[in-house]
Parts: sequence; C-alpha cells; structure tokens
Amino acid sequence: MRPRALVEPLVSYAFLAVLLVVVSFPFYWMTITALKSETQMRSLLSMFWPDPVVLDNFRHLLGQTDFMAWFKNSVLVSVSSTFVATAIGTLGAYSLARLRFLGRAFLSSAVLITYLVPPSILFIPLYAQIRNLGLADSLAGLIAAYPSFTVPFVTWLLMGYFESIPVELEEAAMIDGATRFGAFRRVILPLAAPGVLAAGLYAFTQAWNEFLYALVFITDVKLRTLPVGLSSFITGDVYGWGYLMAGAVLTTLPVIAAYIYLQKYMVEGLTAGSVKG
Amino acid sequence: MAVPAARRAGRAALDRRAAAVGLRFVLGPDYRLGFLFVAPSVLLVLALVAYPFGYAIYLSMTRKYVGVPPVWVGLDNYVKLTWDGFFQRAVVNSFIFTFGSVSVKLALGVAMALVLTSRIRFRSFFTGVLLIPWVAPTVVSALNFLWIFDYSLGVLNYLLVRVFRLLPQGVGWLSEANTAMASVIAVNIWRGFPFFGISFLAGMKAIPAELYEAAAVDGAGPLQRFRRVTLPGIKNIMIIVVLLSTIWTFNDFQIVYILTRGGPGGATQVLPVLTYEIAFGAQRLGEAIAVALYLLPALALVIIVLARYMRRGQAR
Repeated sequence: MRPRALVEPLVSYAFLAVLLVVVSFPFYWMTITALKSETQMRSLLSMFWPDPVVLDNFRHLLGQTDFMAWFKNSVLVSVSSTFVATAIGTLGAYSLARLRFLGRAFLSSAVLITYLVPPSILFIPLYAQIRNLGLADSLAGLIAAYPSFTVPFVTWLLMGYFESIPVELEEAAMIDGATRFGAFRRVILPLAAPGVLAAGLYAFTQAWNEFLYALVFITDVKLRTLPVGLSSFITGDVYGWGYLMAGAVLTTLPVIAAYIYLQKYMVEGLTAGSVKG
Repeated sequence: MAVPAARRAGRAALDRRAAAVGLRFVLGPDYRLGFLFVAPSVLLVLALVAYPFGYAIYLSMTRKYVGVPPVWVGLDNYVKLTWDGFFQRAVVNSFIFTFGSVSVKLALGVAMALVLTSRIRFRSFFTGVLLIPWVAPTVVSALNFLWIFDYSLGVLNYLLVRVFRLLPQGVGWLSEANTAMASVIAVNIWRGFPFFGISFLAGMKAIPAELYEAAAVDGAGPLQRFRRVTLPGIKNIMIIVVLLSTIWTFNDFQIVYILTRGGPGGATQVLPVLTYEIAFGAQRLGEAIAVALYLLPALALVIIVLARYMRRGQAR
C-alpha cells in the first residue's frame, strides 16, 4: 500500500482521460483545420478528419502572406535577446547566489520584484523610451526591450540553481590555487551548464511567445513577429481560418520542440527551483 | 634623502593595502567580482524596469498625447477615473476575471497533482501532455479558441447542437454578454491550470513518505491524510502559486484582447486592454497609464508578500 496515493487509480484514469481530451483537443483541432480544404471547412462535413488532406493552407500561408518574414523576425528577436539575457543573467545569478558583497540581499530582492512587475504597467513608458532612442518600429527595439523580463527571470531561476551546487567544490578549486573567477569558469559553470541551457531555452520561449511589446512597438507589417502577425489575420472581414491555423501549427512547433527537451527540467528543476515552498 | 623616500613609498603601499582591506571589510570579501558580475543585470533593470516605472508614475500625473510634451495635471487623471463608468466596470471585470480564473485553476491544480501522485502508469506521459497549454504560445491558444467558439463554423456549437443535441441552436459564445466573460475565463483556466498542477505535484513529492505512513498507521483515511498531511505540506507553494497567478491573470492582456477586445459592449473589458485602448486607440497616454497604475498599491502589496515567500523558499 502506498499511503501517499490518495486517489483510487480508476478515478485517476477517468479524470486524466477527461483532462487529456480537454487539453489536447484545441491542438488537434488546429492541426486538422490546417489540413482541410476551404470547401470542406464551409460544408461542416467530416468535421473531425480532413477529407481530403490538403496542403493548400500551408502553400497560401508561405506564398501569399508575410509569414516567412515574421518567422525570421521572431527567430532573430528571440535568439538574440535570449543570448543577451542568458549571459547577463548567469553572471548576475552567480554573483547574487555565491559572492559576498554589500547590497547582495537587497539586489536579490530587487531582481525578484522586477520579475513580478507586469508588462501591462511597463509597455507605455518602455515604448516612449524606445521611441526616444530611435528604435521604434525596429526589431532592435524589441531585442532591447525583451531582456526586461528575460533577465530577471533567468537570474532568479539560476540563483536557485547555483545555490544547489555545493560550495565545497569551489573552495577546493581555490585551495588548489584557482582564483574566484577561475573557480567559476572551470568548476561552477560546467556544472551549471544544464541549468543555464534550460533557463536559456525557457527565456527563448518567453521571447517567442511575447505579444504586447511586439504589438505596440512595431507598426510596419513586414517587421511583425509571429504572435502579432498571426493575430493580424483576424482583423479583416474574411477570416482565413485554414491558413491562420497552418500558421498556428508552425508557430507552436519550435516551442514544443524546446519543451520536449526541457521537460525533465520543467517538472523537477524549474518548479522546484523557482517556486519551492 | 633616498631612505625616507623609500620609506614613504613603503608606507603608501601599506596604506593602500590597509585601504583595500578596509574596502573589503565594508563592501564584502568578494566585492570586486560580485559588483562586476551583477553590474550588467543592475544596469539593465534600472534602464528597462526602474526608469520606465518611475516615468510611468510621472506620466500618469500629466496630460500626454503621442508626440506632444506632457502637461502636469497632478492627480486629475486618477480623480477622473474614479468616477468614470467604463473604468469602474473594467475594475469589476478584472476582479471577476481574476478570481473566477484563479479559484478554478487552484481546484484543478490540486486535483491534477493528486491524480498524478496516485498509482497510475505512464505518469510522465500524462504530466508532459498536461503541461502543453502552459508552454504553447498564448496567442496561438487564444486564436484556437476564437476558432472553436466561432458561431457558425466553430466546433463547440457543432458538438453541442449536432453531435450531442444539447442545444437547439448555436451560442455566440464571445458575442453575447452573458457568455463572453465565462468564455474568456475558461480559456485562461485552460492555459493556466497546468502550472498550478505541476507546482503542487513538486510540492507533494517533497513531503516525506513517513508522514503519510505515520498517518496511515494512526488510522487516517485518504481524506484525513489529504487534510492533515498533504495540504499543510504544500501550503507555502499554494500561497506562492496563487499570488503569482493572481498577478499574471490580473494583468493578462492577450486572451481578452484576441478573443473579445473587451466586448461585447464592455462586458469583458479588463484593465490591461482598457489601458491599451486608451493609449493607442484614443492616444491619451497619461490617462492610460493612470488606468494601469490605479491599483498599484494593491499590486505592490501582493508583490511584496509574494517576494517574501519566494525568497524564503529559495533560501532553504
């Protein structure tokens, strides 16, 4: 008997089955909509399976819309802001987790608080700032703005990670003659690599999914990122559900790929590290 | 002549060393590398969060249009908002949206964690799939639901009317005042509950098995074990997750913006969307920021309490 298990397996399976359907149905629906023909969609025939399976929507999406440009913009913005955030955040986290200096406790709290300040408060003044710097309506503006949420997040996440690495390892290296920096570079950083990678990937998905700043800062259609571009498909009178869903599929895939890699960290490292109680 | 000079140089070196020791004493033993490493983060946070935040507070006390310098008006914007019917309605809606979503997410999250700790197979498969709404781009999910809720071609009406025959005719889920709010709340729940579940799961796994065994030996049934062992064991995580989600939900822009834009007739208008509409629809930036900052004292309180719990969690 396992006293920790409070629910009967049968009840669990039933509940999980319902949750599974509710959770995965929208993605299933998105995918089959993308594969249906326009006529089939209007006819309400064979609702739950594309008949015939056609790639017209993907062809239209890639050939007739700015989707490819948006995809490139999203990749550029997410990848570059992720590199900046991960580099800065890793150094900051190590400093706050391990090094002893004046103001450390205050700065640790400050990082956490900035992570909690919502974008809905910051987007207007940030926009004014980006405009003043001449970066409005440019991808550089987004690359500059995204670290406002990725850096505090990465720093906070990795502080927990660095704290979990035994301090003795570093001390041993320093007794053997390594400087503090040497110990960080040769001993701690390699050990923290999986955590850094996970934090980076997580920052990437946050940047990839970001909507509000991209909506506000960018007006040029060609410079949109994927979330804003996709949502602009619904402003006209004609809803192109087929190619909209095709775009939704292609926008979701990179995140799901990152997630499959991240899964073990998400379940154990991430939640335990960032929100352990 | 040469000797005192050398002595002076020696003393200066000693003074410098003493000063360095003093600095280390005041600034901490690792202050050099510490400051160096943390400087980029501090500068970035100052430039991208602290400064805009201060500027926001200033702007909220001005009359400011896009491209025109701000004019100081003191607390005028806040006073006007207090008596503005649209704003009042958005405040009420924001609270309904937030508490409606968070309470269901909490219940679903606990249930999800409980079934994932029971004796089942394929646990990691279930966990993995259930987390997908949390990682998928919110905009994509919102667009999916916009399509699912569609009046004439949407699959929800198709299921309810044609397959299960529960309704005589379709419902305009997002276009009718009495279903729009419930619909946007449902989407927020769908997206957010996995985070609750996964966090509680981590918390439940961290509870020592002996506690459960001891309780079982003492004759406690499942319900009692849940109330006496599980709940106290995940109390801190619950507080953190609920507060975190309250902040996120209250400030959720994407779901409402994409699904209803605050409609029909303001029925789902929430503060972040209202802020956006006033700022970039009406171009009144000062007033828009006042909308975003009106509840700042409450937000600050939640953030401070939450930060305290999270710091305590990490220190352990």
